[in-house]
Amino acid sequence: MKTGRRTFIKTASLAGASFIPMPLLGAGPAKRYRTALIGCGWWGTNILREAMAAGQSKVVGLCDVYRRPLQVTADEVEGASGDQPQLFDDYREMLAKVRPEIVIIATPDHWHAMPCIDALKSGAHVFVEKPTSHTIGESQAMLAAAEAGDRIVQVGLHRRIGPHHVSGMEFLRSGKVGEIGMVRMFVTGGAGGKETPSPNSRVPTGMNWDLWCGPAPKRAYNRKLSPGGWRNFLDYANGTLGDWGVHWLDQVLWWTDERYPKSVYSTGGRPILGAAVATETESTTDAPDSQVAVYEFESFTATWEHRKFAGNQSEKHRIGAYFYGTKGVFHMGWRDGWTFYPKGNSDSPVHGNPDFSDKKDGNNLKQLWQDFLIGIERRTQPVANLEVAHRSSVLPLLGMLSYKLGRSVRWDGDREQIIGDSEANALLRRDYRTPWVYPDA
Amino acid sequence: MISRTLSGALILLGLGGDAVLADDWPQFRGPRHDGISLESLSQKNWAEAPPKEIWRAKVGIGFSAVSVAKGKVITSGHIGGDDVVRSFDEQSGKQVWEHRYASDIGAMFYIGGPGSTPTIDIESDTVLVLGKWGELFCLKLTDGSVVWKRHLAKEESLVVPDWGFSGSVLRLENRLILNLGVAGMAIDSRTGKTLWRSDGAESGYSTPVPFREKGKSLVIVSSGEGYSAVDTNTGQQEWSVPWLTRYGVNAADPIIWNDKVFISSGYQKGSGLFELGDGELEMIWKQRKFRAQQNAPVRFGDYLYGFDGDSSSRAMLKCLSLKTGEIVWEDETFGYGALCGADGHLIIISSDGRLGLAEASPSGVAASVTPSVLPADCWTVPVIANGRLYCRNSKGNLVALDLIRTR
Repeated sequence: MKTGRRTFIKTASLAGASFIPMPLLGAGPAKRYRTALIGCGWWGTNILREAMAAGQSKVVGLCDVYRRPLQVTADEVEGASGDQPQLFDDYREMLAKVRPEIVIIATPDHWHAMPCIDALKSGAHVFVEKPTSHTIGESQAMLAAAEAGDRIVQVGLHRRIGPHHVSGMEFLRSGKVGEIGMVRMFVTGGAGGKETPSPNSRVPTGMNWDLWCGPAPKRAYNRKLSPGGWRNFLDYANGTLGDWGVHWLDQVLWWTDERYPKSVYSTGGRPILGAAVATETESTTDAPDSQVAVYEFESFTATWEHRKFAGNQSEKHRIGAYFYGTKGVFHMGWRDGWTFYPKGNSDSPVHGNPDFSDKKDGNNLKQLWQDFLIGIERRTQPVANLEVAHRSSVLPLLGMLSYKLGRSVRWDGDREQIIGDSEANALLRRDYRTPWVYPDA
Repeated sequence: MISRTLSGALILLGLGGDAVLADDWPQFRGPRHDGISLESLSQKNWAEAPPKEIWRAKVGIGFSAVSVAKGKVITSGHIGGDDVVRSFDEQSGKQVWEHRYASDIGAMFYIGGPGSTPTIDIESDTVLVLGKWGELFCLKLTDGSVVWKRHLAKEESLVVPDWGFSGSVLRLENRLILNLGVAGMAIDSRTGKTLWRSDGAESGYSTPVPFREKGKSLVIVSSGEGYSAVDTNTGQQEWSVPWLTRYGVNAADPIIWNDKVFISSGYQKGSGLFELGDGELEMIWKQRKFRAQQNAPVRFGDYLYGFDGDSSSRAMLKCLSLKTGEIVWEDETFGYGALCGADGHLIIISSDGRLGLAEASPSGVAASVTPSVLPADCWTVPVIANGRLYCRNSKGNLVALDLIRTR
C-alpha cells in the first residue's frame, strides 16, 4: 500500500482555512448534486442539514436499517427543502435506483468500507465519517477504490478545518512554542462507576437488526448498542480511541512532517466499569474505560490517554492535545480553543478562541462541507481527503490492535505492515460474517 | 369529511368530578387533566411580593411532580438505589410515611430518577405509583402500606422505553389506565389484575388523558411512534396518529377539547392539531415551531402557552394560535422551564428556579419574576393546590410556597 504519492496534502490542508462562500463558481445558479445519506441517525442528519443548507444538494435517497430515524429524517428533509427522497434499508438498492452524485455515509464504523467502496464505484463523491473504518485493511481498500477513480472523498474530521485548529496550527508552526519533543493527547472525565448489564430486548419494530450487524458479528439486540451506543462495542467500533482519538491523532499528523509512528503500544481495560458481559439475556459495553497508547515517532513521542471516571478537577483542560515545546506548553482544545502557556512564570498565556459553525455541538461541519464542494467543483483534494484521513485513522486502529494483542507493534507505514509479527498482521483485517466479503485492497 | 355534528362530542372526564375536595390536585396535570388549577390568585405581583416559602423537603432525584389531596402531598424520588414514595402533611410539610423499593436510577444522558407522578385515588384512599421500570404499587393513603403490587414489565414482557416509563396512572372508576405497551394497559384497581393490554412494544412517556366520544370512555396514550385513542373498557384502538420522533419521545400529554386534539413532541418534531372525523383523526395543521419535549402546554381559549424546545437547546416560552398553528409571541425570559395555569394566568418555573406569573394573553407576556427559589434543573411542572404552589428540582428539593400570604 503506497500512500506517499500525493504531495500537496499539507498545503491543501492549510488552504482549506480560507473557504469560499457560496456560490462556489462565479455567477449563475450553483449546481445541485443528487445527494443520498446512508445512516439517518443524529450525526448523519446533522451532515445532511449542512448539505441542504449549502444549497447544492437535492436529496434523492435516504437509507437506514431502522425505519424510525429514516422516516424522521425524510420528514425533516421534506419540511426543509421540499425534496422527497426515496427511502431504503439496503444501501446497495439505493445506489442502484437513485444513482446519487454525492453519498454521505454516517453509519457505525463496521459499515463504512463497503458503502464507501460501492458508492465510489457507482461514480459518486463520498463524505464518510471518521474513523475511516473498523479495521485497517478496510481503510486500505477504501483508499485503493478512491485512487482507482477520480471521485472526491471527504472524511468527517471537522477539526482539520475548524478556525481555532487552523490558527493554532499556524501558531505551532511559527516557532513560538519552540522545538516540540512530546505530545500528550487526552479525553478525560466522566462520572465513572461499575456498569450494570442491561437486558437484551426484542429488536425494535422496523429495525433490520441482521442488516445493522451486517459484516460484523451478530450480537443480541440491546438498547445500549443502537441507536447511538455502538462506539463502545468493539465488534462495531473502536471505543474512545477510535471515536475521539482519531481527531487528536489527526492533529498530530497535521502538525508533524513525519508520516507515521515507528511503533505503537497500548494498554488499558475496564477496572471501573468491570468485566464485559455479553450473554443471551444481558449486555454491557466492552470498550475500555481507561486506556493509554504510546506512539513513537522518529523525533518525538505522542501519548494518548482516556478515562471515563474520576472527573477531572485537577487540570485546566479536559480534552485535547498538549504539545510540549522548548518555549512552553501549547494546548489544542475543543470548546476551550487553543492556549499557549509560555514556560516563563511572568509571561502571559496566548489564547485562540474557537469559532464553531454549530455552537451547540461545537463543530465546523459547515466549513468541512463547503471544502468538500470546492473539491468536487475544482477537482482538488479536500482537507480531510481519504489519504489524509486514512493515515490518521490507522493510528487509533493500531492502538486498539496493540490493546487487544497485549504487546507493542513496530509499524512500517510505507508498506502498511506490522514488522515481524504475523499474529499482529492478521489483526489488520477480520473475516466478515457470511455472506459479506471483506474488501481487501 | 369531518362531521361538524361531533362538535362537543368529546367531553373531558374529571377524576371523581365533584368528589374532588376543594382545590386538591390529586393527579398529574391536575383535576381536569389540563394543567390548569381552578383556584383564583389573590396576589399577582410576584416581582414585588413573591410567594412565601412555607416548607421545604428533600424528596430524592427525579422529575415526579406532587399530587395533593385529603391533606397529603405525595411525590417520589430516587435515593441510594431506591425509589422512594413520600407522603407529607400538607400543612406542616412533615413526612407522614414513605414507601421504598429498589430501582435503578436510569441516568441515561440525564440525572435520572422517577418521571411519573403518584396518583391519589380519593375514593379508595389509595396512592397509585408507576415506577420507571414497570413497577406498579397500590399504597394506602393513610400509611403507605402496600395494598397490592405488580412488576408489569417483567410479568407482561414489556419493552421499557429508553428513559423508563414516565406516564402517571389514570384512575377511571375501578380501572387503572397505564401508558404501557404500544396502546396502553388496564389494571383492576382493587386487585391489580390485568384487564386488557396492548402489544408490549415501546410506549411513549405521556399520561393517559381521558375523554368521551359517542358514549364511549376513551383515553389517548402514546407509543414510541405515535398517539392513539383506546376504549378504556376493551382496550380496542379507535384511531391512531403516526408521530415519529428521533428517539421515540412522545412525552407531552395531548390536549383534548371539543372535537380537537393537539399533540406535540420535542427533538425538532413540532406540533399538530387534529379534528376527529368519522372514526379517525384528520389533520388541521402541523408545524415545527412549537416542540414540547417533556410537558404539554396549557390552553386558554384559542391559544396554547408553553415551552418550545429541548432542555439542552435554546428553548423559550411561546404562545401558539390554535386556529392557525402560528406562533403569536415568544419570550426568552425563562429559557427552558415548565408551567401550569390558574385564574387566566401562567404560573411558570424556569429551569434555573425563577418563578414567573403572567396573564395568559395572546397580546404578549409581561411576567412578574421572582428570584430563584430552587437550584437547577427545574423541569417538573409546578402544582397549585389549596392556595399553595409546589415546585421541585431534579436533585430532589421540594418547596411549598404560599399563594395567599406574601412576604
